[in-house]
Amino acid sequence: MSNTSRWLKRAVAASAVLALGVTLSACSGAGGSTANSNRPENVIHVAVYGDAGNTVEQAMVDKFNATSKVQVILDRIPGANYQQKLQTIISTDAAPDVFFNWGGGSIQPFVKANLLLPLTDMIKTDPALQSSFLPSVFNAAAIDDVAYGIPMRGTQPVILFNNKQVLTDAGITAPKTWDDLLADVKVLTAKGVTPIALGGADQWPTLMWFEYLFDRVAGPDLLTKAIGGDTTVWDSADGKAALTKLKSLIDAGAFGTNFDSVSFVDGGSPALLRTGKAAFELMGSWEYSTQQTADKAWTETNLGYTGFPSIADGKGDGADLVGNTNNYYSVIKATRYPDTARDFLKLMYSDEFVQAQLGIGNLPTTTTTEKFLDQAADPAYATFQFNLVKDAPAFQLSWDQAYPQSASADMKTAVSQFFTGKLDVAGFISAMQAL
Amino acid sequence: MKRPTTGRSRHSGGPNVGRPGFAWALPATIFFALFAIVPLIGVAVMSFTSWSGLGSPEFNGLDNWNKLLGDKVMMQSLWLSALLTLLGVVIQTPLSILLGVWAAGQQKNRAVLSAIYFIPLLLSSAAVSVLWRALLDPNFGIPGQLAGIFGGDGNLLGSQAGAIAVLTFVGAWQFTPLHTLLYQGAARSVPPVLYQAAEIDGAGTMRKFFSITLPQLRNTIVTSGILMVVGGLTTFDTVLILTKGGPGTDTTITPYYMYRKAFQSFDFGVGSAIALVLVVIATAISLIMVRATGYDKMNSAQEGI
Repeated sequence: MSNTSRWLKRAVAASAVLALGVTLSACSGAGGSTANSNRPENVIHVAVYGDAGNTVEQAMVDKFNATSKVQVILDRIPGANYQQKLQTIISTDAAPDVFFNWGGGSIQPFVKANLLLPLTDMIKTDPALQSSFLPSVFNAAAIDDVAYGIPMRGTQPVILFNNKQVLTDAGITAPKTWDDLLADVKVLTAKGVTPIALGGADQWPTLMWFEYLFDRVAGPDLLTKAIGGDTTVWDSADGKAALTKLKSLIDAGAFGTNFDSVSFVDGGSPALLRTGKAAFELMGSWEYSTQQTADKAWTETNLGYTGFPSIADGKGDGADLVGNTNNYYSVIKATRYPDTARDFLKLMYSDEFVQAQLGIGNLPTTTTTEKFLDQAADPAYATFQFNLVKDAPAFQLSWDQAYPQSASADMKTAVSQFFTGKLDVAGFISAMQAL
Repeated sequence: MKRPTTGRSRHSGGPNVGRPGFAWALPATIFFALFAIVPLIGVAVMSFTSWSGLGSPEFNGLDNWNKLLGDKVMMQSLWLSALLTLLGVVIQTPLSILLGVWAAGQQKNRAVLSAIYFIPLLLSSAAVSVLWRALLDPNFGIPGQLAGIFGGDGNLLGSQAGAIAVLTFVGAWQFTPLHTLLYQGAARSVPPVLYQAAEIDGAGTMRKFFSITLPQLRNTIVTSGILMVVGGLTTFDTVLILTKGGPGTDTTITPYYMYRKAFQSFDFGVGSAIALVLVVIATAISLIMVRATGYDKMNSAQEGI
């Protein structure tokens, strides 16, 4: 065999290896122009977080398409990693014209990159786009006093759900205070029931426990300061007290032992609650529609709910909430049909939309919501949520939405490592300070 | 096989006759340059920039590389990648050699069974991972139903050892069929005359396997080994779907860490630097393997027959 062909063989072998190694990284180059003419004709794409709530969005789109020349196409982006998928496509020609988001921190980088359409002109043409919504909610999607999002779906406080049957069987009631919760945990573990279902594999359900514990023990200011750059607050006595309390709950076996292999997104933790293998689940208000989709009859009779227990010696009010203030639709600057987008957004304050959202257990934040509460899928649940939100002195946006997206992965790792015991209190504190 | 040296070849002349020129490699070379070399250069440049995916990348010198050097998770990910790769090779190689040699027999039932055994290879890694994730659910999956066998609470993905075992098992479930196929083909091409000669000399099944089959499979072992190593180093989808790099960062292997940095933390600069590290390591390892095994000499295992 000649030298050249040997060299060639070796080069080819090496190249094949390179090709395999590069495949993964090759897709990281995004970009491209965003001129209107590159965008599809006669359609606008609306991207939503794909979950059980999509039925209403699809109904709105169908209603809109019946009379509109420019058609709306609803793209349901499968829920997990929604924000990542969005950021990957938003500066390309494949970007959706209108997209679902959580307001505030979730759209700030896009505004900075000059990708979003200020809604000022739309609101001038149709003032109801602003005046139909509760101001506190509407303003959460304004960046530097410019509106960038129209509220859609509803507000999503995090609620402590329970399986009424399991509580009755165990002879306990839903906890009002932290000590009640610890007592319930003791009774339930003795009975062989996992006290609290937790989708630890997803990590964000775990985060909700930190959000409430820090609020109740240290008060809502701690996180505001931390996001503002004062990372010393994590090391404060209050911060440590919150972590110690949470640690004692974990050590009491409240979450069982296998939460790391359970996922909410895959339906694992909701099934635990529904089948009575667990008594409680701390989850956003969408737990209701998730359970309703899985088993309507069970949801109506057996899904119980209360606010998060208060903590006696803590600085936070027992009525404080955490969760998603609301979901919003934002419009990209590159859209070809801003007027169509505006007309579509008008549906978000229509009576029909409010009623349909209430029908699947969501709580829209229009000024008209209160008068439709009795038409909700479960009026008691809707009224309960509405009062929670109305009475809450503070409503903390979920940490992973409040922090810049770049901090989210490390935050979730720290959170899950604290639950498995890999990080102790000091380790967690330094992880949060490093964000 | 050796070319007849005294045949009546119509072509006459030197040693290069009949060998294709470089032009034949052109289409593949262009394709490779366009879809591998060009992006690779892009990644190399990007590893010296800071970019969130929005706006334009900004050069930041060696910042990304300095960050990586002091990054415990990065160093751990390299060891984890090495461990998973090694486990893959150690478990899959003997399995697929035995299965491949067995399947090389001409019996009908073997053909049917190998066809069934081949099925996992037809499924995408993502589908396989989703399937196993559902099957391994601690409460509603196999570990929950067969608590007696698995013991404990079925928290297979909750410990580092458990998660690594699951990843290794799923990898083996999916990829042994491919390697089995390689070995089946290679085992079938072993000249029967070798076995006949051995039988005359009184060799038994074991002796034939170790003295004829295995040596004849030498080149296939190297091929399959390189495929396993490169495949192992670039494993990604099973980790993404099955463990998400967890618990904590306990199964965060290098390609997953690259994804996490680039697509979850939107730090494309550091992500690119990790990608480059991966490319260098994978290339070095396969070059070493090719050279150390003498694979590049392309000697036939049947010289002298």
